Amino acid sequence: MPDIKVNQTLDCKGLACPMPIVKTKKAMDQLQPGQVIEVQATDKGSLADIQGWAKNTGHQYLGTTEEGDVLKHFIRKSSPNEVKEEKKHPHVVSNEELHQIMASNSKTTVLDVREPAEYAFNRIPGAISIPLGDLESRLDELNREDDIHVICRTGARSDLACQWLAEQGFKKVKNVEPGMSEWTGTTEGNH
Amino acid sequence: MSTKVAIIASNGGLFDAYKVFNIATASAATEAEVAIFFTFEGLNLIHKQAHHQLPLPAGAEHIAEGFKNANIPGIPQLVQMAQELGVKIIACQMTMDVMNLTKEDFIDGIEVGGAVTFLDFAKDANVTLTF
Repeated sequence: MPDIKVNQTLDCKGLACPMPIVKTKKAMDQLQPGQVIEVQATDKGSLADIQGWAKNTGHQYLGTTEEGDVLKHFIRKSSPNEVKEEKKHPHVVSNEELHQIMASNSKTTVLDVREPAEYAFNRIPGAISIPLGDLESRLDELNREDDIHVICRTGARSDLACQWLAEQGFKKVKNVEPGMSEWTGTTEGNH
Repeated sequence: MSTKVAIIASNGGLFDAYKVFNIATASAATEAEVAIFFTFEGLNLIHKQAHHQLPLPAGAEHIAEGFKNANIPGIPQLVQMAQELGVKIIACQMTMDVMNLTKEDFIDGIEVGGAVTFLDFAKDANVTLTF
């Protein structure tokens, strides 16, 4: 599979338990919320350990790929206000509504503003990937007249994206809530 | 509130040290609050000299090579990591008195206390372990 873009790569190859976890914790402390780390490990126990660690620390475990003996774990640092952030964009559709819209109109644009690693493991087929942080520089990839449904994991980042797109003159942008965290429709991913 | 992990270390072999410090560092790295009470032979695990050369169980000496091959970190390294991660190390005053040891015989950054010092921490711990 192609390389997944991350903010930091941490080499834990050859290290035994509990070193991969300890090093991951230390590296994660240096990251900004929303950033993604790739932890490379050869310790087979790290697969279960990293998942348990993410669950207990509240960070988001995205997935793991395997290349030979090396396990690559992808984790996104959570931010404390991610779930609490005040939502302001007035046009909102639910997951179910988006599902129906997609079923009836294949031309609907779904814009996924999560990080590339999140998109890589689990996405709506056909969704366009532009991470929130890249939206400004890649604006010309979108059409101001299109119906655009913006999605992220919980509706917070996509809300910011919607507000900003509306300011840039996009007329028909809608925020999808809650987003991929509870998406029950078809998905695809690099596994 | 974060998870609290209370550990009693009462044995002084190399295997005992790994059980204690692996669980302690893994817990602390998972943002748990961790305290270890070292008592009786467990004091070896934090003794300045002794913790560098902890004995393997009789008959298991050949396993030393296994530790090396699997690239397992040394006990001094694990102890240092535990301290960096904020693991609280408490040496048992009573055992120290019996063995005629002082705080200076142990690694830096430890506390010395009695049973109640540990109990005060352990009374509302989510996980309590004895090694």
